[in-house]
Amino acid sequence: MKTVESEIAAILAGTISAITQRSIFNRLGSLAALPVSQLTAADRLTVMNELENSVRLFARRNSGELIASCARALGAGAQATNGNSPAGGSVAAQAAAGAAAQAAAATKRFPIEQEKDIATARLEAWSESVRIGLSKFTSVKVATAVSELARNIVFYAGKGAIELRALRDDRGSGLQITAIDQGPGIDAKKLQEIWGGTYKSARGMGKGLVAVKKLVDEFNLDTAPGRGTTVTCVFRGER
Amino acid sequence: MEQTIPIIQIRNCLLVSIQTELHDRLALDLQDSLMERVRVTDAKGVILDVSAVEVIDSYITRILNDIGKSVRFMGAECYIVGIRPAVAMTLIEMGVELDSVNTALSLDLALEKLELLQS
Repeated sequence: MKTVESEIAAILAGTISAITQRSIFNRLGSLAALPVSQLTAADRLTVMNELENSVRLFARRNSGELIASCARALGAGAQATNGNSPAGGSVAAQAAAGAAAQAAAATKRFPIEQEKDIATARLEAWSESVRIGLSKFTSVKVATAVSELARNIVFYAGKGAIELRALRDDRGSGLQITAIDQGPGIDAKKLQEIWGGTYKSARGMGKGLVAVKKLVDEFNLDTAPGRGTTVTCVFRGER
Repeated sequence: MEQTIPIIQIRNCLLVSIQTELHDRLALDLQDSLMERVRVTDAKGVILDVSAVEVIDSYITRILNDIGKSVRFMGAECYIVGIRPAVAMTLIEMGVELDSVNTALSLDLALEKLELLQS
């Protein structure tokens, strides 16, 4: 019997380790054991969303091809039992479009209160960047920028949050990072020192914001004394 | 749990492999114990292996520079080895400098350079 697990395992064999595959199938739950022919359209979408995320993260190369093969395998089974179901190719397209739409709509929020939250936000940003298809180098830049912004929150504001949002607009795909806090804010004189490169904080830093601005493709700073600080920046994929 | 970073001695070099998140207290502890070990062992070089560090931001850069400076004050040389290519590119783009430490591609090369220094 062709189950979801047997079909997908055959495709992923050799590119994703057995242990990682196990965790993917565990996350699919009962869906993994279902025969491919019994999958509903909604099931297929759920499976494809999960696979797309995992394959992007774990496959070293050809993640696009692998995802398409998985979609075909799941779609083809449905076609064999049900004459009027859509062809494999369009199922793949539907699943991919569904996943993309979902990703675009979702904003992930990570509270930042202590030093260990910096590492969490950084890792989440990294995997989000890889998931939406930004390059390896860009993903390291994403992680570094999030690290700087989260550190600023912990050091200067005490607490706040980092938000990640996948963008898909007329300028291509990208990742938007927003760092929000209700801390003391930055006054005009200090801002001038920061951008002029002469600012030194008590912790000997003051270089974080400048560094982030140099790394990102779009940058916006909204701050005022007593109102807190919001930094919004965007990384774009290479075209 | 109290966390510390182990310092290993190889001949007259001290080797530190950073495998964990460097936060404020840990970084200060490392700097302290490194200086003490340099004093006690009369080490000529300190090598910090950062090949396991996936992200180096301006804060970590400052810590590395501070360690480099303090080691230099003690009369030893500090080498950072194993900076990943993507990390190096990011540091260049950010415009931050690692100017208080020497760098080498690998542990081997750093040991070689330190040996040349002593002969």
